[in-house]
Amino acid sequence: MASVSIRNVRKSYGTVEIIKGVSIDIQDGEFVILVGPSGCGKSTLLRMIAGLEEISGGTVAIDDRVVNDVPPKDRDIAMVFQNYALYPHMTIADNMSFALRLKNTAKSEITAKVERAAGILGLGPLLGRFPRQLSGGQRQRVAMGRAIVRDPKVFLFDEPLSNLDAKLRVQMRTEIKEMHQRLKTTTVYVTHDQIEAMTMADKIVVMHDGIIEQIGAPLDLYDNPANMFVAGFIGSPAMNFIPGSIGGDGFTTEGGDRLPLGGRVPAASDGRPAVYGVRPEHFRLADDGMAAEVVVVEPTGSETQMVLRPLGAKAGREDRKRELTWVLRERTGAKPGEVVRIAPDPALAHLFNPDTGLRL
Amino acid sequence: MSILTSSDRVVGAASVGRTKRLRPSYWPFVVPALIVVIGVIVFPWVFTLWMSAMEWRIGEEQRFVGLQNYARLFTDVRFLEAMLHTLVYTALSVLAPLVLGTAAALAFNTKLPARGLLRGIFVMPMMATPVAIALVWTMMFHPQLGVLNYLLSLVGIGPLQWVYHPSTVILSLVLVETWQWTPLVMLIVLGGLAALPTEPYESAQIDGATAWQRFRYLTLPMIKPFLMVAVIIRSIDALKSFDILYTITQGGPGTASETINLYLYSVAFTYYDIGYGSAIAVVFFVLIIMLSLILLYLRQRSAWNTGDGQ
Ligand SMILES: Nc1ncnc2c1ncn2[C@@H]1O[C@H](COP(=O)(O)OP(=O)(O)O)[C@@H](O)[C@H]1O
Ligand SMILES: [Mg+2]
Repeated sequence: MASVSIRNVRKSYGTVEIIKGVSIDIQDGEFVILVGPSGCGKSTLLRMIAGLEEISGGTVAIDDRVVNDVPPKDRDIAMVFQNYALYPHMTIADNMSFALRLKNTAKSEITAKVERAAGILGLGPLLGRFPRQLSGGQRQRVAMGRAIVRDPKVFLFDEPLSNLDAKLRVQMRTEIKEMHQRLKTTTVYVTHDQIEAMTMADKIVVMHDGIIEQIGAPLDLYDNPANMFVAGFIGSPAMNFIPGSIGGDGFTTEGGDRLPLGGRVPAASDGRPAVYGVRPEHFRLADDGMAAEVVVVEPTGSETQMVLRPLGAKAGREDRKRELTWVLRERTGAKPGEVVRIAPDPALAHLFNPDTGLRL
Repeated sequence: MSILTSSDRVVGAASVGRTKRLRPSYWPFVVPALIVVIGVIVFPWVFTLWMSAMEWRIGEEQRFVGLQNYARLFTDVRFLEAMLHTLVYTALSVLAPLVLGTAAALAFNTKLPARGLLRGIFVMPMMATPVAIALVWTMMFHPQLGVLNYLLSLVGIGPLQWVYHPSTVILSLVLVETWQWTPLVMLIVLGGLAALPTEPYESAQIDGATAWQRFRYLTLPMIKPFLMVAVIIRSIDALKSFDILYTITQGGPGTASETINLYLYSVAFTYYDIGYGSAIAVVFFVLIIMLSLILLYLRQRSAWNTGDGQ
């Protein structure tokens, strides 16, 4: 059990700065997820917490002790790697007990701990096997077992599920979350998958190009994204961004359609260019809404996803390429080529500054 | 037309793996290879076996004696000593290059400056011809003029008699063998190290393994299959070793460094006792085969990345 405090951490390889000053506070027992597109520096940050990567600037503290110069083994952390990083020549039991054996732990204690972890993860029958004899999901579980056996202050996960097939991924997601609820160990979890982040995290850290875009609870990020990057990254399908300008008590798209603002007009913004952000599920049919042509209909059973093309009066050829996504819960008989009239729910829409990307 | 159908059938047979369908008319194609194998491999061995059952001296009448030549081996002190010399020489010539070659491979596997150049220099002994090596080392071993005793004198040891004394001759020869063949072991082990996964080392770092423990519990077991390959190659090579021994000591002083190979050579080509020499050759061959089988079995057991399970 421990808190982790990351202060202004930087990382450079040569002259290239990969992490550009990042600060995160992680409470004792919290499940924090670092999420962001590939290459944004998530793994690098996690590896700096682990001690596998030198910290170029700033401090990392575990339980108020700065660990910048503490070797990995003395940080009392356990890490689960994307490729599992099991010891290929050792049995599952030996893989899990390796750390304890290095510490000359008593045999009886090792057996007890390995059996407990194997019990939690359902690895009992596999203990005598070698990693190569296991499926991807089982290896994944062994990697977690190895971490549990250590009973560390902090768990670090680096994209642990990305080598698994979709179904197994959903199942392991639940298992990891259950494990956390049971052990209540502080956890830092890296993923590029925003759904993983949304479903598992207590707190999400959205990273982009070596900086933090926003930190918050999953639904908080969903409801109140700080900027266009977060708004577009969190949520699937992604939020629709419609460029235009603020005018009177509404918003006029570049195509000439009027969208409602529900009285939430920012001060002194008449005529100001802006981006209207609305999630696919926040449109509804409305007789006075904007006209749009149905391009594609994708029913998934529980909901229907539609790609629409706005037919605004002033819409030029470019504007017509700006397609919108609409997700509705009910089934629909709409066919490609038909025209529907839809309106966004103004209470759930956001306005963004087109230059800075910040929410207005 | 007939060509078409027969070639069709070949393709068909090959693709479903039904080789039994091959008609007898294909057998002639196997015959040349068969003749070569029988002529070059099978015949010499059968002939050697036959010779080993004869009393056969060059220029004398030959006479069938059954197993008498083999019985003679057990009372031939010179043969038994040669056996012992061979075993000691082989064991040391495997172990020393194995340990040193592994150490060198570990060193060359790190990011040394000028690594490529150093590695190139390091493997050069392997490429030298045995007679040249023998010449150079014989001079270096010289008790009065040799550079080795000079070097020892610098640290206050010696002088040693090296290959000129029965108690040091085998060790001295092992030194030459080690100097020449450590690079081979290094190359084999280096290949093994390059094939190792890197991720387990990061887990091990987090699990708290020191550098020594990472070597002992990860590297060593994971390169074991490669070490076994080196052991097999080295063992067979050292057992068969002849050129260096013959050119430096001819088995001397006395018979202090006479291995089976050298003794066999003397019996066959100095005493012209072809029958007895053949018996020695047969025993020697059986020894090599047995050793190879044991080593191959051990190598299979040492594999962690293949084998049992899948
Ligand atoms: N050892 C390294 N040397 C140079 N650049 C590196 C090194 N490791 C990672 N990078 C760079 O740092 C950036 C972030 O990498 P990483 O943390 O692995 O991203 P993520 O895990 O978010 O996909 C990438 O652009 C990558 O190319
Ligand atoms: Mg990564």
